[in-house]
Amino acid sequence: MSSWLAQAIDSAEKIEDWLSPKRAISLAKLKETPWPGRKTEAWKYTPINAIERAQLSEKTGTAAKASEIDNLNSIDLVFVDGLFSEEASTSELPEGLTISSLQHAQSWALESFNQTKPSKHFFGLVNDVLATQGCIIDVAANTTIEQPIRITNSFSEGAQAHTRAIVRIGESSKLTVIEQLEGDLASLNTFFAEYQISEKAHLEHYRLALQSGKALSVGGCHFNLNQASTLDSSLIGYGSQLSRVDMDVIHSAEHSNAKLNVIYLLDGKELFDLHSAIEHTKPNGVSEQNVRCIAADRANAIFNGRIHIHRDAQKILAQMNNRNLLMSPNAQINTKPELEIYADDVRCAHGATIAEIDEEAMFYLQSRGVSRSEAQIMLSFAFINELVDQMKNDAVAQWLRPMLRERFAQMEIR
Amino acid sequence: MTDQLDEALSREYEAGFVSDVESRTFDPGIDESVIRRISAMKEEPEWMLDWRLKAFEMWKTMPEPDWAHIDYADIDFQAISYYSAPKSMDDRPKSLDEVDPELLRTYEKLGIPLVEQQQLAGIAVDVVFDSVSVVTTFREKLKEKGVIFCPISDAIKEYPELVQKYLGTVVSQKDNFFAALNCAVFTDGSFVYIPKGTRCPMELSTYFRINELNTGQFERTLIIADEGSYVSYLEGCTAPQRDENQLHAAVVELVCLDNAEIKYSTVQNWYPGDENGVGGIYNFVTKRGICHDNAKISWTQVETGSAVTWKYPSCVLKGDNSVGEFYSVALTRGAQQADTGTKMIHLGKNTKSTIISKGISAGKSNNSYRGLVHMGKGSSGARNFTQCDSLLIGDKCGAHTFPYVESRNPTAIVEHEATTSKVSDDQMFLCQQRGLDPEKAVSMIVNGFCKEVFKELPMEFAVEAGKLLEISLEGSVG
Repeated sequence: MSSWLAQAIDSAEKIEDWLSPKRAISLAKLKETPWPGRKTEAWKYTPINAIERAQLSEKTGTAAKASEIDNLNSIDLVFVDGLFSEEASTSELPEGLTISSLQHAQSWALESFNQTKPSKHFFGLVNDVLATQGCIIDVAANTTIEQPIRITNSFSEGAQAHTRAIVRIGESSKLTVIEQLEGDLASLNTFFAEYQISEKAHLEHYRLALQSGKALSVGGCHFNLNQASTLDSSLIGYGSQLSRVDMDVIHSAEHSNAKLNVIYLLDGKELFDLHSAIEHTKPNGVSEQNVRCIAADRANAIFNGRIHIHRDAQKILAQMNNRNLLMSPNAQINTKPELEIYADDVRCAHGATIAEIDEEAMFYLQSRGVSRSEAQIMLSFAFINELVDQMKNDAVAQWLRPMLRERFAQMEIR
Repeated sequence: MTDQLDEALSREYEAGFVSDVESRTFDPGIDESVIRRISAMKEEPEWMLDWRLKAFEMWKTMPEPDWAHIDYADIDFQAISYYSAPKSMDDRPKSLDEVDPELLRTYEKLGIPLVEQQQLAGIAVDVVFDSVSVVTTFREKLKEKGVIFCPISDAIKEYPELVQKYLGTVVSQKDNFFAALNCAVFTDGSFVYIPKGTRCPMELSTYFRINELNTGQFERTLIIADEGSYVSYLEGCTAPQRDENQLHAAVVELVCLDNAEIKYSTVQNWYPGDENGVGGIYNFVTKRGICHDNAKISWTQVETGSAVTWKYPSCVLKGDNSVGEFYSVALTRGAQQADTGTKMIHLGKNTKSTIISKGISAGKSNNSYRGLVHMGKGSSGARNFTQCDSLLIGDKCGAHTFPYVESRNPTAIVEHEATTSKVSDDQMFLCQQRGLDPEKAVSMIVNGFCKEVFKELPMEFAVEAGKLLEISLEGSVG
């Protein structure tokens, strides 16, 4: 067993709170799960020995706050080194919205804990037993919360943080949640969020996984879709020494609809790994997933997307599209779009492509007087812009565009 | 329509008879002495025995793979007999006239006439019955052209330098659990050598038949196409209908030297077990070819049999400009399980590969495509196109796709697409409106679904494959 894990288990055993009954189950499971290695299918391309080597300590919350998003007008929940910062967070809440700390017991949250996140995620189990900080968000029925909720996470050198979000959106309600992770210092964090989307409710979700450099980040977001509920999710990822996101979308009732857009842009020696699973357990669901990835320099991009149609979940329409740009001879892309289908009257398709920027398009732009580097930026941007355009929240899209452009410019210099 | 479906699914396996051929069979079990006995029986040279024993040592340390999407009862490797041969083989027949008439009748029942018709068709056949090769036709005629086509046990004795040079170079002893077992205990199989610049004058073909109870069949095929040569090779297989599961763990190695081309076609029709999953063949096969410069390997397979299929015919595209192709139709029904696909390992420049996989699942079966496309660092300008389509017939079956795509070179282009659907009501309506009965309509739609693969098969096999599908699917309207 890894010494880091031994230590984690050790400290987990000391935690005693209202979540303990759930934590005990996960702890037992964690103890019998071997440390993931190359031979572990879910970690085939993603080495995690950096966790073993990392110099980590308990931190008191000295990291700089995550960057602001202009014109967002959000309800902020600020976590610094995994600790909730009350003064930096918004205290005034609109009617119908309740937010409380993970330290305060709530019966529905206890029930909801681990209901959508499957136990197969190794670091999900770690988060189960170690996350004492986090938030519980509850939206009453028939309520539209106009202001987006923004959960920010930032980390200082050597920090180790485990945070958890449990979210419930009441019947016919609407909510926007932005999860934001930033920082390039050597630190380890697990941030897992679970969403219960009730009947006819709608969640607009963003995960801005913008950690880079030496950061070690393993987390996930998990959605449970009830009758006629909808999900519109966008994930933007930069890679880092280790960036891993596990995503599960469970259609547990009929007529639910999920759209997942994913962009990740890797440079240097960065690694980003997205494992997503879309489970259609009931008939008449729709899901659409678009994953675009650009890997430059010595980056390693990993995508494992699974669509699973359960027995008798008929009339499902599920699409997955994965497109990758490989920009450098030292970068690598590893992708595995999976289908697992047990119902016959369904329409499912997936496609995956890997290539470099089209040389003809480059030539065309250059023939119009655009410099080679500018042409590359333009074409890279064009490759992902479609997904940025689909973001419903203008402030987030506006904030992202110049950032992404800058990132492309950096990618080009090398 | 459900009645028709049931009828189609309960249709009997036509090759399920047992032949009354007297055999000599080893007692079940495996240890070093069994391997020594097999080797002695085959009068093998020392190096071959050492090679087998080394493989056996490796096998003992290897875990049985469990990653495939298949579920089967544990195999008791000590309960299998590793050698079985028809008794009359002790003095091997020199010509067809001397072959045990019961054997000939067996093959006639299977529709594989070894005598006149075959000569008309112009196909040379190697027939493997249980553990040994029974007869190889046209050996002499092929020899005139310099083509060697004989049982591998003969090749080990007659052409040791060729066998020693190439055996295990594509699928090594430690490649995987089942390949290692095969290396240790393989009993027979075909050996083909096509000399430089030679186009093999006829199609070569091997028919495998498992007859004895509780035996495993472990055949090994080695095909070497020397520079600039061409060969088309066909493989077919059947087994009697029994309640016990029988293991078939074969290894096929193809060596395709510069500018050569090998076309390897398989129609696999092992006994699939009954509709409840009782009996049937466990088919764990390792097939791989290596392509040198400008070489081409094309795998075509029609998989309709076996209770469990675990098979990934692969191409290592080592040479520049080499080409790999994989065309597959896999049909599962009853309680069959298939986990099959291919690996295309692109190492050389401008290498190309095409993968077309058609999976059809009916009954309670599960059919998975599992594939790997790897673009290595040196694979500049390489190209891959993959298409996997699945057709579901009935709501109790499953169709799955697990494609691994890895790219390490920006100039390589990979395209993968997969779809899953059922026989659509519109298609059925159109056909029926033109006066076709539902049975014919399904058969026609499925045939159309598989057409891209069937057109790759040599004519005789295409007919057989079409017939096989029809037998399995007639009237199975979802």
